[in-house]
Amino acid sequence: MSQRLQVGPLALEVMRRGPNGAQHRPILLVHGSNPVSPKAAFVDLLAEHGEVIAPSHPGFGDSPLPEDFDSMYDLVHLYLEVLDALPDKAVMIGLSFGGWIAAEVAASGSAKLDRLVLVDPVGIKLGGREERDIVHFFNTSPAELDRRAWHDPAARPAGVYGLGWQAGIDDEMSDAELVRLARNWDALCLYGWRPHMYNPQLRHWLRRIAVPTLVLWGAADQIVTPEYGRAYSGLIPGARFQLIEAAGHHPELEQPRAVIDQVAQFLGPTPLGPTP
Amino acid sequence: MQLWNHCENPYPFVPAEVLDQAPSVRASLPNRYCDPKIAARLYDEVFDEYRLCDDIGLHIVTNEHHSGINNLWAASPVITGVVARLTRNVRILSLGTLITVRPDPVRVAEEYATIDVMSKGRLEIGFVKSGATEMVSGDANPMRIREREWEAIDLIEKALVTRDGPFSWEGKFFTHSHVNIWPRPYQEPRPEFWAATSDLPTCAELGRRNIINTLLFGGYDRTRQAFNAYKEARAAAALSPPGEDRFSSMAFAYVGDSDEEALRIGQKIAWFLTVSIKSAAQFAKFQPGAVAPEMAPAAWRAGVSRRPRPTNLDAEVLIGQGQMFAGNPDTVARQIKDFRRRVGGIEHIIMMTRQGLVTHAEAEKSFTLAARDVLPQLQDLPPIDTEETAWEARRAAAAAAQ
Repeated sequence: MSQRLQVGPLALEVMRRGPNGAQHRPILLVHGSNPVSPKAAFVDLLAEHGEVIAPSHPGFGDSPLPEDFDSMYDLVHLYLEVLDALPDKAVMIGLSFGGWIAAEVAASGSAKLDRLVLVDPVGIKLGGREERDIVHFFNTSPAELDRRAWHDPAARPAGVYGLGWQAGIDDEMSDAELVRLARNWDALCLYGWRPHMYNPQLRHWLRRIAVPTLVLWGAADQIVTPEYGRAYSGLIPGARFQLIEAAGHHPELEQPRAVIDQVAQFLGPTPLGPTP
Repeated sequence: MQLWNHCENPYPFVPAEVLDQAPSVRASLPNRYCDPKIAARLYDEVFDEYRLCDDIGLHIVTNEHHSGINNLWAASPVITGVVARLTRNVRILSLGTLITVRPDPVRVAEEYATIDVMSKGRLEIGFVKSGATEMVSGDANPMRIREREWEAIDLIEKALVTRDGPFSWEGKFFTHSHVNIWPRPYQEPRPEFWAATSDLPTCAELGRRNIINTLLFGGYDRTRQAFNAYKEARAAAALSPPGEDRFSSMAFAYVGDSDEEALRIGQKIAWFLTVSIKSAAQFAKFQPGAVAPEMAPAAWRAGVSRRPRPTNLDAEVLIGQGQMFAGNPDTVARQIKDFRRRVGGIEHIIMMTRQGLVTHAEAEKSFTLAARDVLPQLQDLPPIDTEETAWEARRAAAAAAQ
């Protein structure tokens, strides 16, 4: 049985990494298409800057999915509740689909939110009605997703999954791992099919984000382009935009050191002390 | 027993090299490959076939699929409405409108009520859950479609049977604050409901609701299993045992003058399996909800990408599996009677005959022979000895396992 994080009636699967206790600022990691793998190199690097808390959203990994839980509205309130329960003000880092959740949570406002990092987030509509901003996750071949999501698909680290994960299926994978991937894919679809991976209203509420924000973007991301990222960042007051070279849609997996260096610079001296 | 004619009105005239190169012949094949002049001729031919069926006593089935070479019936209520005016005698089954793709079940109910009135009570309403390429063609979330389907069925039923509306509906998937369809159905309280499924929990629910259960190319074993789930669910709920009229099966069918002729033409029907279902991995095994997560390891490891697409499905193999009836009239009558016995009783056989490159003339010949020389042999059959057929099914299963 994996570790659990109780949020109301839900016992979410959670990965915790790094020091904990009152003197360390919590870093709430909000995952994208798949829960954050304990094997991902960036997790240990990030844990040098605080206690990493990475829940699996309802329906993902081994987290339960209640019958009446199926919308971004549910996820936003869930993560507001997660923030409420943290002992200190937190840094929230949202990856891809999790970046959308994090942006929604930040726009809603939480007294527990100290800083926000968005990594290749989806979630808003920018282009015209005949322009697709976000590649359709479920109406695109797995090979094409793999090509678009990674700067170098051939160098994709083993044991971690992003978009195009189907290309990584091999006979070595356990049934348990495949079941997790299937749950992740189903849940992602449940929340994000239509409108595809965005909330039409979010764009004009991003101005309400009131915490310092860093937006990181893989320079080679062809799921959502850096141009989309720059515009996204521009809608958040005071946000800083930074490209990560030699990375696609999952820079934290392809360039973990570069991503964590940017995050560390944004957060200030490490380890972070208690917030005032 | 009753015989039904189901034609999907396929469009098999796309060059083979285009189909071979396309990752999917449904959903994503551009419509420049569909010549409307050819399509117009196909509509004429199939509607003429339906008129023939009306004259000779074969009931008619319509359906709908979208954006693919397999089916030109883009909206079942439109096609069924046309059939309602072209015919005078036979029953018409819409099997069905893709209710998990349609945004408003109330409109579906109203369209069906209209057809029932136009046909003076000859309509039967079928439901299908849908899935695969239809989810992208209809931009419908493939998750939770079973729950969505049942809510749509409930709302359609209430819209059809309510006589003192308007009423309000605030469900999980559909809301409609003012439901009051005009006209009301011709049949009281509503047309018969059918559903196409082999999913056992769904079959059980059909049993509890007394909805006719049809299998699509289920063959002997899956069909019997599905019907048993239906019967057991009724028994468990202390409901009366279902008659054979609650059971139906769709199979490929060709009736010829000789077995040789029927097998030769029947072979063309297999195009449905060999060509028309080719679809890309994102619409099939990797579509969310396509299989339960715990089934994913088996589905993905043994999935379609590792198995060559069937390209030479032999008519005799399909006959042996109970998925095709083909031969001279006596042969086909014998095959159907045997099927009825092996699945534990069935009233409705839906014949898919005009499929692939089967021609208009070939289709009309088969329909004529089926109505004249097969159908009479299927009347007044003795009751099924369920104990004997259960024993036969166990023996067949044991033989298959060896």
